Amino acid sequence: MRASILKLGNVLIASVQGSMSDADLAQMRDELVLDVRRYRATGVIVDVTLLDVMDSFAARTLRGIAQMIKLLGATAVIVGIQPEVAFSMVQLGLTLEGINTALDLEEGLALLKVPGIGAHER
Amino acid sequence: MNGEVIVPIRVDADVLVARQKARELAKSLKFSSSELTLIATAISEVARNIVTYAKEGEIVLHLVSKGGRRGIRVVAHDDGPGIADVARAMEDGFSTSSSLGLGLPGSKRLMDDFDIVSALGKGTTVTMTKWER
Amino acid sequence: MVQHDNAVERNDGENFQEHNEISEQELAHRKQFLELGDEDIARLSGINDLARRYAADVIDDFYRHLMSFEDTRSFFSDPQVLQRVKNMQKEYFLRLTEGNYDLGYVQDRLRIGAIHERIRLPIKSYLGMYNFYLRAVATRLSEAFHAKPAEAWSSFLSLLKLTFLDMGLAIETYIASSERTIRAQQEAIQELPTPVLPFREGLLIVPIIGIIDSQRARQLTEQLLNSIRGNRAKMVVIDITGVQSVDSRVANHIVQTVEAARLMGARVIIAGISPEVAQTMVTLGIDLGRIMTVGDLQSGIERAEQLLGYVVTRSRSTELAAG
Repeated sequence: MRASILKLGNVLIASVQGSMSDADLAQMRDELVLDVRRYRATGVIVDVTLLDVMDSFAARTLRGIAQMIKLLGATAVIVGIQPEVAFSMVQLGLTLEGINTALDLEEGLALLKVPGIGAHER
Repeated sequence: MNGEVIVPIRVDADVLVARQKARELAKSLKFSSSELTLIATAISEVARNIVTYAKEGEIVLHLVSKGGRRGIRVVAHDDGPGIADVARAMEDGFSTSSSLGLGLPGSKRLMDDFDIVSALGKGTTVTMTKWER
Repeated sequence: MVQHDNAVERNDGENFQEHNEISEQELAHRKQFLELGDEDIARLSGINDLARRYAADVIDDFYRHLMSFEDTRSFFSDPQVLQRVKNMQKEYFLRLTEGNYDLGYVQDRLRIGAIHERIRLPIKSYLGMYNFYLRAVATRLSEAFHAKPAEAWSSFLSLLKLTFLDMGLAIETYIASSERTIRAQQEAIQELPTPVLPFREGLLIVPIIGIIDSQRARQLTEQLLNSIRGNRAKMVVIDITGVQSVDSRVANHIVQTVEAARLMGARVIIAGISPEVAQTMVTLGIDLGRIMTVGDLQSGIERAEQLLGYVVTRSRSTELAAG
């Protein structure tokens, strides 16, 4: 199952599907990296609304994605973590520290517009 | 109580299968959606350990009952390298990830009962149970 | 309105004994304290025949006395209940002089005390009954032993000791019941869901009162996270003014809640850390890290509003001033 990546102006929106395998997640990461460069994106929103379980592997992968995007000069925001998922993540000690988070797509986009958070326009 | 479901674990796709089967099995009990997520997450962690460290193993799911309460029991077993220092693996820094990155203290917190038997060269068996409230 | 239901039949004595653990040791200790020894037991057994002779009369007198007072009459308005308690009291009365004051005796006394407590007979009335007995018995003893007053007197003193043993047990039954009620109320308070209050758009206030145990903390966190989603909240003020104590366990629950809220894009301010709590936390080495904390709820709300970009001003003339 492929991740869908949409472009909205300077922002890329990647939606993670619930039943994505590890390989799918890795593929999404690779595609995002290419797309950030290709479209000179300043922001990337990774929407995990449909992710039913965030385990340590998924968290590590998301962290990796965020770090790569940052290295490319863009800002990443993880959005859509559901209440149950947030709860279990915290029990596992997966805090995604240092990574921007927002409630949903709308809030994520708003966050990218905040000076200092969104990368400067190129 | 019977209804044993055995999920062989070899590749990461099997982790997903184990989670899904657990959700299906647990649906017949009175768990909240939040609790189902906790169960699936704990299974994900132990299943992943099997894939990463033991290369292969299995997860067995049962419905259990004790003193009028019903629950779901997960037994994750592998004949892999085993954990040399189980105590250390179970050490908890609360908010921080577990010391050996095996997600075991976290899984313990997600479930109600938790037991682990492991020794170097002797494989690992994790038994976790979640009871209806 | 007093309820005369099957409460009278319930075996509360056993439960009481379980909870309060009046062991052989404890009973022996109490007897020692009251100086209730073998001679007393012998004397009491000695007046058993006498007791059998006047038991019915004493009981009748006693209940006539009770029924002459409005406040006690109401407890025995049901003739069936009255007959039952009269029979029980007669047995009770006779038991005082049967000479065997072991744990079975204690259990029996506790049961009877519990029954009276159940029908909500005030403790003062219950103790008043002992008062009546002692005087009724004293009179009859002095009549029966008029030739041997010293013997009457020592028998009476023995009875007094035993009666005090009984009163101690009776009072404890009443206290235990109060304690049970208090415990039940505390549990009920714990069961109350913690309100998550939408305050302004984007701002939630969560006032916490009482003890936070793991289960409650879990419920609270779940509720809060669901509210964050439902209200699209970006700021949460958790008010712990009403939390009884903050130890490292509670602190960890708080930290976890804050971390989970952040994953959903909400920031949390912990308000209501009193000087005492602050002191405790420092002493215990509890560090909330980068979590924002303020001393009181008002400051917490103001801070949250600030961060959300609200500016609250007060206009010069208010409706109140205008009268």
